[in-house]
Amino acid sequence: MNTKLKVSEISKIYPGCIANDKVSLEFGSGKIYALLGENGAGKSTLVKILSGVVKPDKGEVFLNDESIKLNSPLDAKKNNIGMVFQHFNLFETLSVFENLSIDSDKKDEDLRVLVNDILKKYNFKIDLDVPVLNLSAGQKQKVEIIRCLIRNPKVLIMDEPTSVLTEQETDDLFISLKKFSKDGILIIYITHKLKEVLSLCDEVAVMRKGKVVSVSNTIDEKIESLANKMVGENLNTIKKKINNFKNSEEILKISNLNFKSDDPYETNLNNLNLSLKKGECLGIAGISGNGQNELFQILSGEIITEGTSIMFRNKEIGKLNPRERREYLMAFSPEDRISQAAVPELKIYENVALNNFKSSNFFEKGLVNEKKIKEHSKKILSNFSVNTDNVELKSQFLSGGNLQKLIIGRELITSPELLVCFNPTWGLDVGAINYIHETLIQINEQGKSSVLISTDNDELLKLSDRICVIYKGKLSKIMNADTVTAEKLGILMGGGSID
Amino acid sequence: MEVQLIKIEKRNDVSRSIYFLTPVLAIFLTLFGGGIIFYILGFNPIEALKFFFITPISDLYGLSELLVKATPLCLIAIGLSFCFKSNNWNIGAEGQLIFGGIVGGGVALLFYNHDGFYVLPIIILSGAIGGMLFAMIPAILKTYFNTNEILVSLMLVYVAKLLLDFLVVGPWSNPEGFNFPETRQFSESARMPILFEGLRIHAGIFITLITVFLSWLILFKTYLGFQIKVSGLSLKTAKYAGYKGKTMIIIVFMISGACAGLAGVGEITGPIGQLHRNISPDYGFTAIIVAFLGRLNPVGIIFASLIVALTYLGAETAQIFLQVPKYTGQVFQGMILFFLLGSDYLLFFKIKFLGLKKNEL
Repeated sequence: MNTKLKVSEISKIYPGCIANDKVSLEFGSGKIYALLGENGAGKSTLVKILSGVVKPDKGEVFLNDESIKLNSPLDAKKNNIGMVFQHFNLFETLSVFENLSIDSDKKDEDLRVLVNDILKKYNFKIDLDVPVLNLSAGQKQKVEIIRCLIRNPKVLIMDEPTSVLTEQETDDLFISLKKFSKDGILIIYITHKLKEVLSLCDEVAVMRKGKVVSVSNTIDEKIESLANKMVGENLNTIKKKINNFKNSEEILKISNLNFKSDDPYETNLNNLNLSLKKGECLGIAGISGNGQNELFQILSGEIITEGTSIMFRNKEIGKLNPRERREYLMAFSPEDRISQAAVPELKIYENVALNNFKSSNFFEKGLVNEKKIKEHSKKILSNFSVNTDNVELKSQFLSGGNLQKLIIGRELITSPELLVCFNPTWGLDVGAINYIHETLIQINEQGKSSVLISTDNDELLKLSDRICVIYKGKLSKIMNADTVTAEKLGILMGGGSID
Repeated sequence: MEVQLIKIEKRNDVSRSIYFLTPVLAIFLTLFGGGIIFYILGFNPIEALKFFFITPISDLYGLSELLVKATPLCLIAIGLSFCFKSNNWNIGAEGQLIFGGIVGGGVALLFYNHDGFYVLPIIILSGAIGGMLFAMIPAILKTYFNTNEILVSLMLVYVAKLLLDFLVVGPWSNPEGFNFPETRQFSESARMPILFEGLRIHAGIFITLITVFLSWLILFKTYLGFQIKVSGLSLKTAKYAGYKGKTMIIIVFMISGACAGLAGVGEITGPIGQLHRNISPDYGFTAIIVAFLGRLNPVGIIFASLIVALTYLGAETAQIFLQVPKYTGQVFQGMILFFLLGSDYLLFFKIKFLGLKKNEL
């Protein structure tokens, strides 16, 4: 069984972003292909096009030299293209077998024989009659894979399959994938983990900003070379003036912090240590989903941790909730500005009232002091040049940039000692990005500190005094920003290590 | 085969005046739908609707009855609006009403043969506390054991009903009552004062009006109200702002339960005057419709409670004059909710026709 899959000149444009820019790639059976890239590089869009979820604006897909139309996931199935998504699509309360039989047109008896054959052939150990909710993440993934195998796939696409797996399960998965490949199934493996590419794949295509920047044999590559290609070498743009904080006062100290989540899609944090000086900006790089969300919530108090691990200005704050932390002059700007940092249905002044603490007097004796809140809101609108002066306007009518200015303004107008922000500029236009960046530099100059969690490396290098990388819930060592190179950052983000 | 492709999209902005007008539209659609039902049953629709909606309130007695029915509906719905606004689905107001009635009724029986101005306030207060405690069961189970409050609060309705059944048949039944399943008549000082001689309208209406005012104050003018509003719109934001989610769930259930308990105690000390098996014609469930018809807004709920109360009265008149079962009233309540949800859907979403497409399935 020889399969050739070819994508030719595929382009997909979303408003404000070119997700795929004339992507052409060729794959043949018998090999495992890696598709490597950062967040937003265009991997997911390409995979969605191949699985029929998204239609390309231009370009064609060829299977064995025949042009195929992939208008829906059903078309992908008809052409024997199987896909295992990062998040499982299983009915938790149904049994494994019921899950498999739902989208199969075979008779139950025939299906059971077929599934048992597959289990035997690939040495999968799964009880078909237990409810899916009793399975581990690795077993659930096997169920998804079996679901594809039932249909005799020619192509199997795996989207970041190891993000929810343990080390052991990852090893198991690799063994299975190699077997599939031997049996003639063409495997496309999407990842941003460099080690996995080297240990599993035969060929690697690297994508950056919607384009394919390189296609090569993995034998010819090293972690460093892949990192360079993935992150890009044009990183050393404008940098902030690096200061020396040796003698400054320590503002924030986290020691030996652990966080274990019950949710398999969340990342556990292991043994985090960091410290921050007055006036300093600490950048935290990493590919999204490596624990940034959890780290932000731990800093903001949305996740409460055991008492002894977070010190802020020599006070223990681990047990305090976000409102209580604000009393100690901390401020937070979350990643999700539309459904977390602000509520679109609320008016501007009501959104301002979300950042409430005692001295603001927004609520006196439990009553709303609307006049005070509105005065305060007016001040934010003018000080942070938000494009309106109507505090009664619903926030949903603000553009992303203006909403982010409002949020940053709300957090900063109280002169906090520390601002924690998470991807403060995603999705914004250049003007707004510059404004936010200038503001963040300004607060450092005023002697206030900041933690910048970001997936945008340019932003990190521009604003940070020191940088570290978070990978699988662990922090790398913290480096001075002037010693950081694209290569180092790329290696660390992909799970490699540097001396 | 060619099929029409339809896409449903969220509307970006919904005007506030239309938002408060759709309940009125729903009521007109209900009248229209009701007319059709009466027509199918062989009645003159105009005449039948007149019997249903005009005759019952064409005299002073009828108006008084309207207020007697609206009083508990409004009170319960106000309480529920606290829960619903903050995304807590308390479906068990009927149970909280009954439990409030049981506790209030128990105290009333305790004060049997007592006279004094203090008796009634104590009964009312104990009824409110009873409802409140009963509502705290689903709240505490939700906050500490992650149970589903819809199921728990609904199932507790039957617990309360069976408990009431047991009490009025067994330990609390009237010793001189020939084994009828009811308690003694409460003494005069345990009864709500009647406002007008010859009519059933009682002082409970003042409790309702005061509650409406206090609720408006809490919802729109206090920090608690602001927190309820934010949590209802986005739990993530509430968490980020540092609101104490668990405490708030318990508080809204307490408010809601206390209101339902007050309604229960208002019924037994008002029009009923004793405990028996059927102290509520499903006021606790119907109040859910009232709350939504009134847009969870205190003033809206006043109007909604009057309209829904009218369906109770209309059903009784229709039973007498048209010989249709009194459950027609529930049909009308169902239609109001149906049309309200329907028009809300069209209010918040628009349907786009994308044209014909070949169906390849």
